[in-house]
Amino acid sequence: MTVPAGHGVAVRIESCGKTFAGGTRVLEPATLEIASGETLVLLGPSGCGKTTMLRIIAGLEQPDAGGRIMFDGNDMTRVPIERRNVGMVFQSYALFPNMSVADNIGYGLKIRGVPRAKRAERIGELVQLTGIDGLEDRRIDQLSGGQRQRVALARAVAVRPGVLLLDEPLTALDAALRERLRGDLNQLLRSLGITTIYVTHDQAEAMELGDRIVVMSKGRIAQIGSPREIYFEPANRFVAEFIGAANILEAPVENGQLMLPGGRLPVDKPANQARATVMIRPETIDIVNADAASLAGTVETVRFAGDRMRITIREAAVNMLAVEVPNTIAVEAGDRIGLSVAPEAIRLLPAECQ
Amino acid sequence: MPVNDMSTKPIRIAQISDLHIKAPGKRAYKRVDTAQALSRCIATLNGLTPAPDLVVISGDLVDTPTEHEYEHLKDLLTGLRLPFAAVPGNHDSRDLMRSAFPDWAYAFPSGALNQCIELDALDLLLLDSSVPGKPHGELDVPTLKWLDGTLSMSAQRPALLFLHHPPFLTGIGHMDRQNLRNAADLASIIRRHNRVQLIASGHVHRAVLTAFAGITCTICPAPNHAVALDLAELGEPSFAIEPPAFHLHVWFPGEGYGTIVTHQIPIGEFDGPHPFFDAVGNLID
Repeated sequence: MTVPAGHGVAVRIESCGKTFAGGTRVLEPATLEIASGETLVLLGPSGCGKTTMLRIIAGLEQPDAGGRIMFDGNDMTRVPIERRNVGMVFQSYALFPNMSVADNIGYGLKIRGVPRAKRAERIGELVQLTGIDGLEDRRIDQLSGGQRQRVALARAVAVRPGVLLLDEPLTALDAALRERLRGDLNQLLRSLGITTIYVTHDQAEAMELGDRIVVMSKGRIAQIGSPREIYFEPANRFVAEFIGAANILEAPVENGQLMLPGGRLPVDKPANQARATVMIRPETIDIVNADAASLAGTVETVRFAGDRMRITIREAAVNMLAVEVPNTIAVEAGDRIGLSVAPEAIRLLPAECQ
Repeated sequence: MPVNDMSTKPIRIAQISDLHIKAPGKRAYKRVDTAQALSRCIATLNGLTPAPDLVVISGDLVDTPTEHEYEHLKDLLTGLRLPFAAVPGNHDSRDLMRSAFPDWAYAFPSGALNQCIELDALDLLLLDSSVPGKPHGELDVPTLKWLDGTLSMSAQRPALLFLHHPPFLTGIGHMDRQNLRNAADLASIIRRHNRVQLIASGHVHRAVLTAFAGITCTICPAPNHAVALDLAELGEPSFAIEPPAFHLHVWFPGEGYGTIVTHQIPIGEFDGPHPFFDAVGNLID
């Protein structure tokens, strides 16, 4: 079965797990739906199972018995890679160094027997779209890393794949280029309307590119949600700490209040248990007058970061508390300060199973 | 720019090869007790400290092949206290091997028995070079595509390749005529990716070492008989009972893709170990 070209297919990953010879299970059976045209990011540290999941979708790997991959409702589990109509972009460009930019982009079309004129037309569209027009006749080894990755992307989408799979495509580039290309990639993916599955360990990339993010840890899905949900409503401590900076406070609860060394904070849900673990993002903490505040501490360090200041505070919680405030606030190490957090910014986390 | 900082511990992979297990009581070439040879090999493997993380069997698990032989092999392997995986050789059958080991993570639902095993910071790519009904080796088109695609992903992870047929000439003519026929296809894929750190093969029942496409490439010795070292085709194809051995590949994390070293380990019990130094630290002399 071959998927009709030119539209984003809806992907369903159904109970797909993976166990290696020797018995190591790298992916617990997982079920995921990706809507047509959606960009889904698989995010997690090395060894979390995200690349295994991508290999299963690509057809480079079979899921354990019971797992199925569906494209637009069709079972693709036993369909080999070359008949799945997936486009792939990798961290290693895997371009043909001895061929021109145009020949690289048109390679898949040529293999499929697309006539020369049609090929040239499509190559013309793609160099425009990916911002490499004018470089058509250059050889790959005459291009910069960023340009090469644009060629790889143009080549992957040239054949109008139903699904585009990207495996850490920006990891090999330097930070400034990575950020610029990330913005361009975001626009491009949205204009193409291809269903995209993007694997990365970089949470900033995930936030910017994903319609939804799947956070993975140790072969399991830790949370699925929009970037906002993942950031503001992490399902557990792993997600809270993996995405952005987070203060994790674990303390006794009395009358709906978290009892801290420097005072108290409201817990958004009255917890039955005697202790609670909450997460507070550093930028949701305001500095107020110490006298009137329900929580107070002493400034340990102040770091000026241009647009804002990063402050650490001792004696408020058991551990050092991280706070980010506008650059207009005047505080110094040793100042006694009050801290205020809106109740909705205090996120209750489930108790750790360990 | 590979990153190995996720894992700081060495990874140890024992490789054993060319077991040629027959039905119980039958000897290979009417002479070699391959079952007893495997049992000795298993005893040495079980005695290794620290224990290897995985044992890879690089083909020719059985001899004929028959279902009965795979059953015998599985019986013998119950004595192995380490996890193991395997690629088929020319003496194996894809179908019989797939049904003997149905739980392994084969990449394809049918055909070649390729596997990619993620072992901590390493990817082990087990390539099926067998050609049904033929003694020589070849990587078929789906396998080559799979290899290229799999190496394209996870560019930062070091990868070790295991296959039965060596992709190079050893100088032993009758074996060289049945080595990997499309070694050039393998070389062109390896050259396109930086992350391959070792190509480990079997088939020749001798320890042999070369560089292939710029990568260290080994042949693992066998636990039973060795192919006779006849580098000038002076005699008929023959075998000899030489000291049996296997390989232990140890990967150490570090700069770039880390370092892989291969130890050859003799099978059997030997005198020792004896200390070099006495109780106060003086060399015993």
